[in-house]
Amino acid sequence: MDNAVDGFAEPNGIADITGAVRQGLIPAFLYNDAEVHELERTRLFGRSWNFLAHESEIAQPDDYVVRNIGDDSFLVTRDSDGQIHVMFNMCVHRGMQVCRAERGSARTFRCPYHAWTYRNDGRLAGLPFHADAYGGEAGFVKEGQALLAAPSVAIRNGMIFASLDPDAPDFETWLGDYAFYLDFYTGQSEAGMEFRGPQRWRVEANWKIGAENFMGDSYHTPHTHASVVDIELFGEPKPYKRKEGVLWHAGPGGGTTYKLPPGSDFRSGLAYVGYPDEMIDRMAAALSPAQRALVDEPGFMPSASTLFPNLSFVHNWPQTDAEGRITPFISVRLWQPVGPGETEVYSWFCVAADAPDDYKAASYKAYLMCFGSSGMFEQDDVENWVSITTMARGSMARNLLLNNRMGLTLDGDPIVSQFDGFGGPGTAYQGFGEHNQRHWFSMWADLVSRPAPARQPMAFGMGERPA
Amino acid sequence: MSSGRSAAPLPYTDERHQMAAQFLTEEAHLLDTSDFEAWLELMDPQIRYRMPVRVTAVKAADETDVQTMHHFDEDWYSLRKRVQRFHTDYAWTEDPQSRIRHHVSNVRTFQGAGDELIVESAVLLYRSRGDRTAPSLLSAGRTDVLIPTEVGLRLRQRDIEIDESVLRTQNLAIFL
Repeated sequence: MDNAVDGFAEPNGIADITGAVRQGLIPAFLYNDAEVHELERTRLFGRSWNFLAHESEIAQPDDYVVRNIGDDSFLVTRDSDGQIHVMFNMCVHRGMQVCRAERGSARTFRCPYHAWTYRNDGRLAGLPFHADAYGGEAGFVKEGQALLAAPSVAIRNGMIFASLDPDAPDFETWLGDYAFYLDFYTGQSEAGMEFRGPQRWRVEANWKIGAENFMGDSYHTPHTHASVVDIELFGEPKPYKRKEGVLWHAGPGGGTTYKLPPGSDFRSGLAYVGYPDEMIDRMAAALSPAQRALVDEPGFMPSASTLFPNLSFVHNWPQTDAEGRITPFISVRLWQPVGPGETEVYSWFCVAADAPDDYKAASYKAYLMCFGSSGMFEQDDVENWVSITTMARGSMARNLLLNNRMGLTLDGDPIVSQFDGFGGPGTAYQGFGEHNQRHWFSMWADLVSRPAPARQPMAFGMGERPA
Repeated sequence: MSSGRSAAPLPYTDERHQMAAQFLTEEAHLLDTSDFEAWLELMDPQIRYRMPVRVTAVKAADETDVQTMHHFDEDWYSLRKRVQRFHTDYAWTEDPQSRIRHHVSNVRTFQGAGDELIVESAVLLYRSRGDRTAPSLLSAGRTDVLIPTEVGLRLRQRDIEIDESVLRTQNLAIFL
């Protein structure tokens, strides 16, 4: 497969592609190419940590949701004892999708094909005519059989992640310093967060574009989103305001921030973006002194962010009523590849579980107005991303290396030094730059360069015999 | 809001049904011709405009029990913002504009509480953008509450039942 991608530069294929992206030059066809998509499907999504669901979506025992990693359908359940399981949603008998609903509550799942039945922890509970059809345990060892478990599972801030790689790196080690920033989105309260949604819709855009955009593209905001400034829905994305923000990357993610007004401290900074006192109290208790210091003078407020590969966050604070109330909201979103030129967007609204009801309602409204399927920000983003993907499909795109080098001189030196007044870990630059997008693409290059994990097929019903 | 709804739809010959059906047709015309200011005029200031996200649930379950989210949950303020946005010079997603057509059918009118009319309809929205991507279709049922005023019927509430759990259109820069 190493030489399979021949569209760019024979004979080195993928090596030339990864070499280019590490220099901040993106072969334009990467945004719509079947072979690149196949490499991403097997190598990248075959190894990465992938977000599936939040615990609050399966809050009660027996709750479940069905989610995908690439083409693979997973049942994410809370069993009758409250334990969470992530299982490949394919009957071990003849391969039917066991659960075809998107969410609900069930103690067992019965395959529609031959009525094999599984408990909600995955264990095979029964199969018809076990004795007559198989001779009982002599022909099919029922004991200990279960739906195929996701090879690796991790939970952080109630967020359930899985990797298709049984040798995936330890999640917390991999997450590293990104955890510091993740808490601003999904660690706002010791009571945990509540996810609503997701909205799901399909766009004819490559999945990488959204991931990169949320990772660090503060440069697009003043122009792409000029309409929402114009109508006074959200006043921040003015060019000079975005330029004052710090772009940070830490561990496997990065993000954008807005500079808070001079003299801000933790409480006044959060109040400026619309958090009521009760919410500020919650965040003061949930966040560490170091995290709180990020908001202190010279204060910065996290806005968009991406955790590699395809999980993004956004935190904005629009005006939510005619009287001028400013209300922040958080959205969590997944850019799920469907094909080289198609992405399914999953977009959740996220709020502290113990937030006051009127705050939850206002924050939800803020989300719906700005992001998601109908959001006034998101509408214009997607228009751009569909257009890029369409343009990337042709022959000329194979002659074009897109410039992803903002913030670097031609010699590769940063045009400004790292910003040392930033309270968070990692690498931080104030002003516009594509530092974060290059960081994202360096992780992309690492994974698409490595062969996919070796397969370890499992035989079912065969007891201890080798397959 | 829908308490007191008549058991059977009004006969098609009933003037109230004819007024309601004409309201929906004229409304669709305003949307299809991008006359959003005139469309907003048809909204009662107390408008609730909602479209829940559909969830695939087993038949034995009540889908509304597992619905947690909306595509739209609008009031007059947010609808006005959406309309204002279309009038800026930077609403790229609708510049160039989509070619859209609302096909409205299956109109059933019920007498609601007081002088309210409850109106069910089906809408099929055809949307074509540019010359590169395939057109999209959105199919939905709608249940409206219309109230008579001195200047004609006004829309007080619209509940949209979209017929997809995963939308196949790039965004909802449209109204249904």
